[in-house]
Amino acid sequence: MSSYSKKEVGDLVDGRLPFETVHRMLSMPKDQERFSLYLEILQERVSWPDKIILARGPHLYIVQDKDSKKWVNKCSCGHVMGEYNENWKLYANIFVRNTEALLNELQPKLMAPHHEWQELREFICPSCGILHDVEAPVPWYPIINEFEPDIDTFYKEWVKIPLPERAN
Amino acid sequence: MNNLAHLVEVMGIDAGGTMTDTFFVRADGEFVVGKAQSNPNDEASAVMESSGDALHLWGRKLEEVYPELVTAVYSGTAMLNRVVQRKGMKVGLIVNRGMEDFHRMGRGIQCYLGYSLEDRLHLNTHRYDEPLVPAERTVGVTERVDCHGDIVIPLREKEAVEATTRLLDQGAQAIAIVFLHAHKNGKHERRVAEIAREILARRGSNIPVFTSVDYYPTRKESHRSNTTILEAYAAEPSRKTLLGISDRMRGVGAKYDLRVMASHGGTISWKAKELARTLVSGPIGGVIGSKFLGEALGYDNIACSDIGGTSFDMALITKGEFAIQKDPNMARLLVSLPLVAMDSVGAGAGSFVRVDPYSQSIKLGPDSAGYRVGCCWEEGGIDTVTVSDCHVVLGYLNPDNFLGGALKLNVERARQAIKTQVADPLGLTVEKAAGGVIEILDQSLRGHLRSMINAKGYNPLDFVCFSYGGAGPVHTYGYTEGLGFKDVIIPAWAAGFSAFGCATAEFEYRYDKSVDIAVPPSASDGTKTASCVTLQQAWDELAEKVIEEFRINGFKPEDVILKPGFSMQYLGQLNDLEIDSPLGTVSSVEDWNRIVEAFDETYARVYARAARSPELGFGITGAIMRGIVATKKPKVPMEPEEGPTPPRDSELGSRPFYQRGVWKIAKLYSMEALRAGNEIAGPAVIESPATTLVVPEGWSTRLDSHRLFHLREV
Repeated sequence: MSSYSKKEVGDLVDGRLPFETVHRMLSMPKDQERFSLYLEILQERVSWPDKIILARGPHLYIVQDKDSKKWVNKCSCGHVMGEYNENWKLYANIFVRNTEALLNELQPKLMAPHHEWQELREFICPSCGILHDVEAPVPWYPIINEFEPDIDTFYKEWVKIPLPERAN
Repeated sequence: MNNLAHLVEVMGIDAGGTMTDTFFVRADGEFVVGKAQSNPNDEASAVMESSGDALHLWGRKLEEVYPELVTAVYSGTAMLNRVVQRKGMKVGLIVNRGMEDFHRMGRGIQCYLGYSLEDRLHLNTHRYDEPLVPAERTVGVTERVDCHGDIVIPLREKEAVEATTRLLDQGAQAIAIVFLHAHKNGKHERRVAEIAREILARRGSNIPVFTSVDYYPTRKESHRSNTTILEAYAAEPSRKTLLGISDRMRGVGAKYDLRVMASHGGTISWKAKELARTLVSGPIGGVIGSKFLGEALGYDNIACSDIGGTSFDMALITKGEFAIQKDPNMARLLVSLPLVAMDSVGAGAGSFVRVDPYSQSIKLGPDSAGYRVGCCWEEGGIDTVTVSDCHVVLGYLNPDNFLGGALKLNVERARQAIKTQVADPLGLTVEKAAGGVIEILDQSLRGHLRSMINAKGYNPLDFVCFSYGGAGPVHTYGYTEGLGFKDVIIPAWAAGFSAFGCATAEFEYRYDKSVDIAVPPSASDGTKTASCVTLQQAWDELAEKVIEEFRINGFKPEDVILKPGFSMQYLGQLNDLEIDSPLGTVSSVEDWNRIVEAFDETYARVYARAARSPELGFGITGAIMRGIVATKKPKVPMEPEEGPTPPRDSELGSRPFYQRGVWKIAKLYSMEALRAGNEIAGPAVIESPATTLVVPEGWSTRLDSHRLFHLREV
């Protein structure tokens, strides 16, 4: 089966591969070692020692805390945003665009949604200020919990690698 | 073979991405094929080198043969590559103000054209290619013509001046003008072109200006604009290449006008105004060649099949005619050019073989090693098993005579690769695994061939199957087995059949124009007469264009045979049928009834008599004009029959050959040394430098007096 070097997977993460290669990678059955390589690459790019379990986004990870072995959500800057099974958004700074003026900063007049029907919520890391996510619900809607990954099954049955210790 | 009494008359050129093939035919029907490495920077040299390689076989020189030639036809992939790699001219585009983004947005289907079915469903593989013209070189001009051709907003000429000036300031090398509904009324496009040319003249520039109405007056602005832009973007640079080839040929004494294979199945001059239609031409050659052979030998229903390194191309000829697709796609762009209808699947001799880790099954393609053959050719740098590797291991291909011995194949390397990548993971022996691969490929090709014929409502029993392409004859028995074709025919020159086909094509221009004619069942005679007038006007307009093209090549209008046609449908139906008009001109109610009758007959033939629906009324969607001038064509080879026993010197010994789980001994023959009338029973392998014909046990083949092999189950 196809296999890829660590450099190729690194280039994939950075979006530097030509599309033909990306297309081939997408279309072929996934190489077994891809996820481990991917984790290695992510780990090399962060400054903290905690082990990355899964990426939640380009700058947000589920990690195993080095000392307590608890799984937590962590920004690439090191800021912790709750335990892995909590909604990390509740630990972020939230900037809400819910007036016409605020929405028109992004989209021209009459091309933005009406603020009584839809608002934009920007979730920002309280330490480094990076924008992790934006959600666009109706204004009264609670904060959305996007994704509760079943990490146990993913590790044991999909990628078949040992599940790291978890204290929580 | 060196018979100076016979002149060399016809030449076909097939300039692919890696090899340039030339094909020379002598007056007595003898032919030679030459090969040379393609050279994108100097195609003329590659053509000359390839010609030299071919003529060397007859012991003749370029300077002797070129003056004898009466016709030469070129087909190549250079223009296509220019589009695929986005290396065309910097085109400036003028469109309706407010519609500046439609070309850049493209049509949704363009993001997955050319994909396998799996990827079509796999949305994250979809991708939009870079537009041919970027946003900054697209300018809007206010005007509007409605769908009836009426002017709703007059043209703002001042904006046209500003637009041209802006494009020129940005360094545009050509200007394309495409307005909505211009095919119904081209006044505004032509006026903008006039304004642009005035400005160009004032600035001392002579870059070309293209209007969609003068090139492709058809509905669907996405198709129309893509095609008009392609004309500027890719075709103009190709004209220079063709001029270079033509000049070089003249330098060695050529007296003919070089012609180029076009997508509609005819050949056109390199001087033709509409050159974009030569964008895709390679695989069409085989279909044209099949039609030509069919006409000469009396087959009017033919299933054409062509296997090369990367794909399997199929086409049907019914009642002596191939079908034309009107808005096909080329290079992942929808275009409004007529294209000989073909079905292609991404499975060929170079297809990669892999084991799917989830289903533990063998998966072929969709990608392939192409000219790099497979693991068996170490220098090719391929590490994944290909179909050719399986052939080499099973004794189907001669490792020492691949491309006439130009490539030495390493059987052991192929065997090792199959063992580790396919056989071991599946727990099979190498032979079983390789045999399985061949069987899967044969089955899938057979399925495609069967469904193409059945889907069009035909039965293989009524067809003769032609098999060609370098890899075709290796698989012919496999993909025709059990389909019940009347006959299966493999030309001895299978590898050069596309180039041969190009040389047999008519010198033919074809122009299309959209028209909207609707005649409900209750229509008065007045409506029918008016419809005839509309159709006739469109024909007149197109005929003028056709005759003009021939005039550029020095033909007189009276030399041109005009063949009008039209696309008709029952009102309310979505698909139309293309009909050759039974009348040269139309003007009266009787004429209208006559063309309706022709449509009804065709409809009954293509679908079913009972499906005809004249109660819905009739609509004409397009007018077609084809023009032909007489040209010299190759002759079908003709040899006297010499009895069924192959001559001694054709026997090359024997080789172990694996078929259905058993090793057998196959007798080997040299294709060139076989004589007309010879019969060979399987297991046998007939070898020539460019192709290999496999005759397994239970099959036999006979070479007829036209150097065509007939393959049949016994």
